Amino acid sequence: MRRFFLLLIQLLRELGDENAYRRHLAAHGRMHSPDEWRRFLDARLSSRYRQVKCC
Amino acid sequence: MAVACVGAACLGGIAIHRGEPVNSLWLVVAAICVFLAGYRLYGKFIAAKVLYLDDRRATPAERLRDGHDFEPTNKWILFGMHFAAIAGPGPLVGPTLAAQFGYLPGTLWIILGAVLGGAVQDFIVLFCSLRRDGRSLGEMARDEIGRLGGAAAIAAVMMIMVIMLAVMALVVVNALKASPWSTFTIAATMPIAVLMGLALRYWRPGKVLEASVWGFLLVLAAIFGGQWVSHSSSVAPWFTWGAMTLAVASVIYGFLASALPVWLLLAPRGYLSTFVKLGVVMMLALGILAVRPQLQMQPLTRFIDGTGPIFAGRIFPFCFITIACGAISGFHSLISSGTTPKLIAREGHALPIGYGSMLLEGFVALMAIIAACVLDPGVYFAVNAPAGITGTTPVAAAATISSWGFPVTAAQMAQLASHVGEQTLLARTGGAPSLALGMAHIFARGLGGDWFLGFWYHFAIMFEALFILTILDAGTRVGRFMIQDLLGHVYKPFARMGWMPGVIVSSALIVLAWGYFLYQGVRDPLGGINSLWPLFGIANQLLATIALCLCTTVLLKMHGAKSMWIPCAPLAWLVSATFTACWQKIFSDLPRVGFLAQAHVLQSSLDAGRIAASQVATTRELIFNARLDAAVCGLFLIMVSLVLADSLRLWIAILNGRRPATLHETPFVATSLNLEQI
Repeated sequence: MRRFFLLLIQLLRELGDENAYRRHLAAHGRMHSPDEWRRFLDARLSSRYRQVKCC
Repeated sequence: MAVACVGAACLGGIAIHRGEPVNSLWLVVAAICVFLAGYRLYGKFIAAKVLYLDDRRATPAERLRDGHDFEPTNKWILFGMHFAAIAGPGPLVGPTLAAQFGYLPGTLWIILGAVLGGAVQDFIVLFCSLRRDGRSLGEMARDEIGRLGGAAAIAAVMMIMVIMLAVMALVVVNALKASPWSTFTIAATMPIAVLMGLALRYWRPGKVLEASVWGFLLVLAAIFGGQWVSHSSSVAPWFTWGAMTLAVASVIYGFLASALPVWLLLAPRGYLSTFVKLGVVMMLALGILAVRPQLQMQPLTRFIDGTGPIFAGRIFPFCFITIACGAISGFHSLISSGTTPKLIAREGHALPIGYGSMLLEGFVALMAIIAACVLDPGVYFAVNAPAGITGTTPVAAAATISSWGFPVTAAQMAQLASHVGEQTLLARTGGAPSLALGMAHIFARGLGGDWFLGFWYHFAIMFEALFILTILDAGTRVGRFMIQDLLGHVYKPFARMGWMPGVIVSSALIVLAWGYFLYQGVRDPLGGINSLWPLFGIANQLLATIALCLCTTVLLKMHGAKSMWIPCAPLAWLVSATFTACWQKIFSDLPRVGFLAQAHVLQSSLDAGRIAASQVATTRELIFNARLDAAVCGLFLIMVSLVLADSLRLWIAILNGRRPATLHETPFVATSLNLEQI
């Protein structure tokens, strides 16, 4: 059950882009800052909202 | 073996019950067993013996890893992400509407269609994209079938999107009209989303889950606020809007969502909608298992003959066209060749993600049909049948519906409307209100009783409208990009996505395109769903036809004729169902089915002077709309016929040895990825 909830939290973090942001910081060796988050989110959202959403 | 036996016993149980209510648990257990058996036997057979999934092969996520688009992701997390991406309102609304034929045809098609068609399509398209660096459906169709196939696929996506956005907007409009409680709740989600967007941008950057939690709490507060609004004689009129006002508001919302920065409105709504969607689907599954409601609807209703009040047309092909996404959805092929293949860590993961997610979507569709069928059938038809058929007064509507063999009274409908805090529930076409009623009954029996029925009804409406509007805003934005790309070939500045005149012109064009079909649906005396939902279903299934043509071509090139039957069987079914539906929608002699017959009847009445002077302009409009719908249907038919003809030509040439069976896969690269690290 614990494993299931951990997986669920990870899924929510993935859907909420929080994990992707952590990967982004790690990959570029940067620290979290409001500007860094805005740069990351702008790039991520611009590619996400170019794709069709399912009906 | 045990699963197969339990599944067979449940299906047998459903078949044996005659003339007595069936418990929904029979359907749930039968579906779970068939899905498990299908996954274990058919899915694994395709993975191992047909596609030869190879875990030693590096996936695009590993080879092209960039931390953004390409990133190896945990199998179960990606399963959840893929499911969240493919689960839209279609599998909820379609089966609800198809319940007019009874619970049996829809249930059987969802179970069989998902196992043999939808899951096969999603899985094979995902596999094809995995072996081609995560390429899109259009690109793969161009490479594997030919230029014509690729171009038709891209054009079809654009046209299908316009129809999809219009029909989704119509569902929301019909759910909110004359309902101050629902309208206030949905209106409140917009400032809440903007507040979330500002918080994420400036006050709590990076805290998406935190913002979503308080955003959700505010939405719950808005539902209670909506109840207060509906009871307030001074505030309620501000939020009591007619269908046309709501349609105009939807168009303005679509335009703003397309032109405003994405972080301000779209992204926070998207996060909130995704979390709410997953939560409510889980709640509904648990609710059905806990409450185990009896199905009130007959297995087969008299409307299988094509005289249905919700939409006209016989069980074949219209049951299959209407259910659409619940069993097989062309749009899934865009997701399976979009984000997902770029995130898969191992080829073997394609089976649970591609095949398994579609089975779960089939399960969601089944829950929707159960939620619709637990309602008293008289109530179900009173909510879903348009006033143009049942009559404009409650007494006339109740008499008409009762005369079909589904007893209902005006007092019963008035009492139900009062219980859920609505002025009326009659002629609320579109599927969303009846689905919300069914869900509310299930939730209220589990938590809160009748006293909470109004809250649960508006909670369900909020859930449906929230994620339909998410499709509407994101779809409008994607459409804007497509138009900007297209216009960029004519006038270069249009191709710059940030060029404001380009943003405004293209946003206006896409909004006007779907807005016109929405306007047409709102003006339609038969409720709009009768003409627009079949058009949407046909479009969606035709896109699936294109995807299955690609799957067949790839398997033919891999194995010759040996494995062609796997995508060919659902393809043959889809071609027969969609082409028949298209033909009937254009040429049927029955005015409620055929667009041209409808135009002809109206034109004859106009020519004979049987139309009142005040209605002449409206009638001319209806004639134009019917002809336009016929033209759109014809265009779909021509485009998909071109892809099909192009594919057939290629298949025959390959089978005769006149064309080499050249696959366009990326070369094998051995994986060095350690799964423990992701």
